[in-house]
Amino acid sequence: MKSWTRREFGCLTGAALLTALRPRMALGQAKARVVVIGGGIGGATVAKYLAASATTIDVTLVEPRQVYTTCFFSNLHLAGLRPLEQLTHGYEALTRQYGITVVHGSAEAIDPAAKTVTLNNGSTLGYDRLVVAPGIAFRDGALEGYDEAAMEIMPHAWNAGQQTRLLRQQLESMEDGGLFVLVAPPNPFRCPPAPYERASLVASYFQRRKPKAKILILDAKDSFNAQDLFQDAWNRHYPGMIEWLPAQFTGGVTAIDAKTRSVITAGATFKAAVANVIPAQMAGRLAQQAGLANRSGWCPVDPVTFESALQPGVHLVGDAIIGGDMPKSAFCANSQAKACAFAIAADLTGSARFPAHLFNTCYTYLAPDDAFSNAISFKPVDGKLKSVISFVSKVEESSEVRRQAARAAEGWYDAFTHDVFG
Amino acid sequence: MRLVVGFAIATGFVLLVSQSEAAAGADQGAQLAATCASCHRLDGHDKGIPPIIGLGEDRLTSAMLAYRASQSPSYIMHAIALSLSDEEIASVARYVAAQGRNPP
Repeated sequence: MKSWTRREFGCLTGAALLTALRPRMALGQAKARVVVIGGGIGGATVAKYLAASATTIDVTLVEPRQVYTTCFFSNLHLAGLRPLEQLTHGYEALTRQYGITVVHGSAEAIDPAAKTVTLNNGSTLGYDRLVVAPGIAFRDGALEGYDEAAMEIMPHAWNAGQQTRLLRQQLESMEDGGLFVLVAPPNPFRCPPAPYERASLVASYFQRRKPKAKILILDAKDSFNAQDLFQDAWNRHYPGMIEWLPAQFTGGVTAIDAKTRSVITAGATFKAAVANVIPAQMAGRLAQQAGLANRSGWCPVDPVTFESALQPGVHLVGDAIIGGDMPKSAFCANSQAKACAFAIAADLTGSARFPAHLFNTCYTYLAPDDAFSNAISFKPVDGKLKSVISFVSKVEESSEVRRQAARAAEGWYDAFTHDVFG
Repeated sequence: MRLVVGFAIATGFVLLVSQSEAAAGADQGAQLAATCASCHRLDGHDKGIPPIIGLGEDRLTSAMLAYRASQSPSYIMHAIALSLSDEEIASVARYVAAQGRNPP
């Protein structure tokens, strides 16, 4: 007979213990039902980790799209470095491996009293717990003239997919010497370094294919995330190609004229060959309609369970939430989703609770072989999520360190999307 | 008694293997390992980021303690390790090492 080492014994009895602590539910008792609305990073992660946590929880994920294209890494597509197909993920594994029911529909209304969600086809889903991961919406009227029709001429490309493809096509067909205008949004918005990563990677494309092209960033802000790292990289990689104009210089962007592809500020009008307009943002529409957002337009939550501060029994994760230092990033959404899933599983099954660990890790490209990274840990303090430990790359890092970060970023993408969709 | 323990072990083993890499339930190591999974694949396919699957419990523990002590070579891992207690490091190392012995 095999003799077990102490460690093997410990590990395996640990597994047996896990089984013993899993949901205590009588045979024949109905499973607890959790509905997750939104199949982006936050929603898909909640669904997966809830389903994997307890066999006694029945998970339904509501998502209109058949596939999800990640906004992170989509700037590589704009630079011609990665096909959009490589950024696109299906939900099959969530059903096949975790038994999640994926309903491809749109949630139209939530009734927290009846605990039901109404879908666009008129059907309703009942739930014991609801998780809403609505992502972002654009603020209506934030920029005069920037409506749905204008978005087809001057794409935002801030929800990846068709808009990203459109912007890439425009960049490809732009003549050398043309002006690319990027309108950067006011805080807070999804993925703070992303507009500036976009400018960097579009510049790398121009450098290869249209070396006389220029990039103008018209910012709603007077400073931006990791500004020293970006401006150092722009001087090193793309001297004279990228100009950044803060709001204090321009008065801010006030209007868009899609007919002439012009961006209008308080003091001047800039006519673009290609314009990428990223508007002001708020929590997704459903969060607004369901009373989950406060006057800021974003959703306050309990920082331990991610339960809505406004609507008990409804949890929120991802870009739509506010309440502290966590930025709106895919990594944060994933981290919040796990904490939320474990908290719900513990509540529904009576299993043990452990302190959650919340992180953000971010890789940002300055050029195809030059990336920087940061790492932040968070914990709940006085009802808010507070940054506890924070590290970010330094300007003086060697090119080899940056090359390694660019390679690590590719590995991160593979592992991260596997964690969410695989 | 030996048989009973053996049965418990065998049952636990089968259930461990039958659960996915994301299985968390009420196991602290599994919940902490969910954080690892955001960057490290737990199915042995890591690329670009150093794999953690296949490392034994002792190596994982000593690596985490080294990351906690210094931000070189990775301040990402330094930040993660700084946020974990000794018990949490032991717990996650035990869980991840067990995944390595039984890759899904």
